[in-house]
Amino acid sequence: MNSFRKIPISRRKTLTGMGALGAAGLLPRMAIGQGQTLVINSNVNNPESRALLERMTAAFGKEFGCSVTINTTDPESYKTTIRNFLVTSPPDVCFWYSGERMRHFVRLGLFEDVTDVWEKHGFYEPTGALADSVTVDGRQYGVPTEAAFIGIFYRKDLFERAGIGQPPATWDELMAAGEALKKAGITPFAIGSRDLWPTGYFFDYINLRTNGLDFHMRLMAGQEAYTDPRVIKVFDRWAELVSAGFFTPNHTSYSWEQGATFFSQGQAGMIFLGQFARRFLPQEVIANTGFFPFPTLDPNVPQYEEFTANSMHVPSGAGNKELGKEFLAYFYRPENLQEWIVPEGYLPPRKDVEITFMDELLQSGLDMLAKAEGTAQFYDRDTNPEMAQIGMNGFQEFMVDPSRRDSILERLEAARKRIFEVQ
Amino acid sequence: MTAAGNEHGRRAREIALPSGAGSQATFGPWRPGSDFLTSLALLAPAAILFTVVIIIPILQSMWISLHDWDGLGEPRWVGLANYVELFGDPQFYVSLRNNLIWLAVFLLAPPLGLALAMLINQPLRWMGIAKSLFFVPLVLAPVTVGVVFTWFYDPAFGLLAPIARAFGTTAPAILSDPSLVTWGIVVAAIWPQTALCMILYLAGLTNVDEDLIGAGRIDGAHGFSLFRHVVLPQLRGATFIAFAVSVVGALRSFDLIAVMTQGGPFGSSSVLAYQMYEQSIFSYRLGYGAAIAVVLFLIVAVFIAWYLRRVLGEEARN
Repeated sequence: MNSFRKIPISRRKTLTGMGALGAAGLLPRMAIGQGQTLVINSNVNNPESRALLERMTAAFGKEFGCSVTINTTDPESYKTTIRNFLVTSPPDVCFWYSGERMRHFVRLGLFEDVTDVWEKHGFYEPTGALADSVTVDGRQYGVPTEAAFIGIFYRKDLFERAGIGQPPATWDELMAAGEALKKAGITPFAIGSRDLWPTGYFFDYINLRTNGLDFHMRLMAGQEAYTDPRVIKVFDRWAELVSAGFFTPNHTSYSWEQGATFFSQGQAGMIFLGQFARRFLPQEVIANTGFFPFPTLDPNVPQYEEFTANSMHVPSGAGNKELGKEFLAYFYRPENLQEWIVPEGYLPPRKDVEITFMDELLQSGLDMLAKAEGTAQFYDRDTNPEMAQIGMNGFQEFMVDPSRRDSILERLEAARKRIFEVQ
Repeated sequence: MTAAGNEHGRRAREIALPSGAGSQATFGPWRPGSDFLTSLALLAPAAILFTVVIIIPILQSMWISLHDWDGLGEPRWVGLANYVELFGDPQFYVSLRNNLIWLAVFLLAPPLGLALAMLINQPLRWMGIAKSLFFVPLVLAPVTVGVVFTWFYDPAFGLLAPIARAFGTTAPAILSDPSLVTWGIVVAAIWPQTALCMILYLAGLTNVDEDLIGAGRIDGAHGFSLFRHVVLPQLRGATFIAFAVSVVGALRSFDLIAVMTQGGPFGSSSVLAYQMYEQSIFSYRLGYGAAIAVVLFLIVAVFIAWYLRRVLGEEARN
């Protein structure tokens, strides 16, 4: 059965050996990269961030005397191609998502332990709790690159036209606001569910607000059943929104960006996404957009929020691990992160990075985070990736036809039992 | 090399010896330059290549399908568990049903291609331009076809929406509707497939014997009966190939699904090939993916057997 093995172990060992030589500080910094090429696989596709990454890598290349190649893939395809390239042609650095999405690759032995970088550069202190997002068994396997809070963005002009005074703070107010928008001929929620994940926010938040963080995280870890009455309660809440016709019609046809278009064109009053949504909104729409946290469903459940971090890693099969680690450390310098988060409007992963683009939207998000009793990341980062894929398929189906709730939950439960090896 | 070098010697011995002497040990099939060795040497490159890239992977797939394997660690023997799970998996039947839809619709490609070929095979002016226009979908990459059709179907921004409005209805969201989505993708796929069949028939039509058509006319055949009894029999070769590529094309359908829906919404447009890919690449379940591959292989094997029987039968008759 050894014939199944794909990774040439001997070569990996040799490379680690070579890396150790560099890490021992025997060679000056320039020599680490001298004549080498750093290969970065990236899913960063917005033009401003790409230009920024190029500037950043050019400066890195100058400092370390190496050349840099960046391979960019669009984010949705990247989720598939990374599974191939980590095995067949690993780059020296790759962008990815923290949490379970990362841990899955760590468990497969595809990401390199970079704890030495964390210790050498003292990343733990400025990173704080977010350091856990790239931790497995007390070791660090990458650095968080940026983070986003999640909540509901709303059009102030449309709310005004529909006669909604205050952004909804409770479920009843949310339902009332939705009805008022519908009456004014406006779709309450814009959503494009073709890529599945935008559906996850609804599940996560209704669950967090109904059953709390502990239950949510146990469910994510495969320790609670999808057929549990508490989960059924979540779906019943959700069904209220679906049955009331609050979502963009035919949402499975649209990518999330297309979904956001309905919001910026003024056809929909709200959109429930991470703060990165703003990069798809024109400036004049942003000026007209407000933000509120997902409403309270049960006053006895403390306010938990989601805080999602993206990340950057060195694959274990990288040809030039030492250089890759140097780049991680370089990227994680506060002055670089400060620039990096600007184009997409993210929050910095380090506390010592100054946010230079504060506005009302961001301030409301930060206020929300400050009040949070605890945070989850997001469905596809908190649970096993295969479970997430099957789960989000089920969420999408539910948002098309809520009457299939039971068959969907049974399918999810069967997947949970198989994936988490529950007897 | 050995075979060729000894050619002369072999001939000489053959002439010198009476027939039947080959049974002696020194003149057995393994002697340098025997017919057996020559055929072996000539067959070897193809046989080795076929074994390495076709036979071994098939056997490997069958072997992997009996394991639980993530593609990286140690495979764990599970016997037929993957197949048991597969036959209890509702997604498998959805994919299988979609494969059958693909197959049924793709069988329309040869007749459509034939009709087009007959139409544009007229010796008229400008027909060259018409031919190249019908040829266009074949030149486009399948991904392009998928993207174009996705835009066309888009219920809000696509071309279908204003067309439907002009007729006073609203366009259905084809790629969002579980009962329509496969049909929508097949329609996109049959566009280049029809062009392919058309090309096959156009090539076949250039070989149609004018004398036979003349003879048919003298015997009173015209119109459809001339086509049915004189032209069509001469297109048998083209028809056979057109059906074979359409059947195989339907069963291996993958690219358009990946581009247009990724199997969605919620798996309703998936086919076996796409489900296999999703399980193996996305979920790292290579054992389960291999089990799907084996089932797909068995289905395709039925058609390959039919194809081989036809080809070998044809050759035997000639």
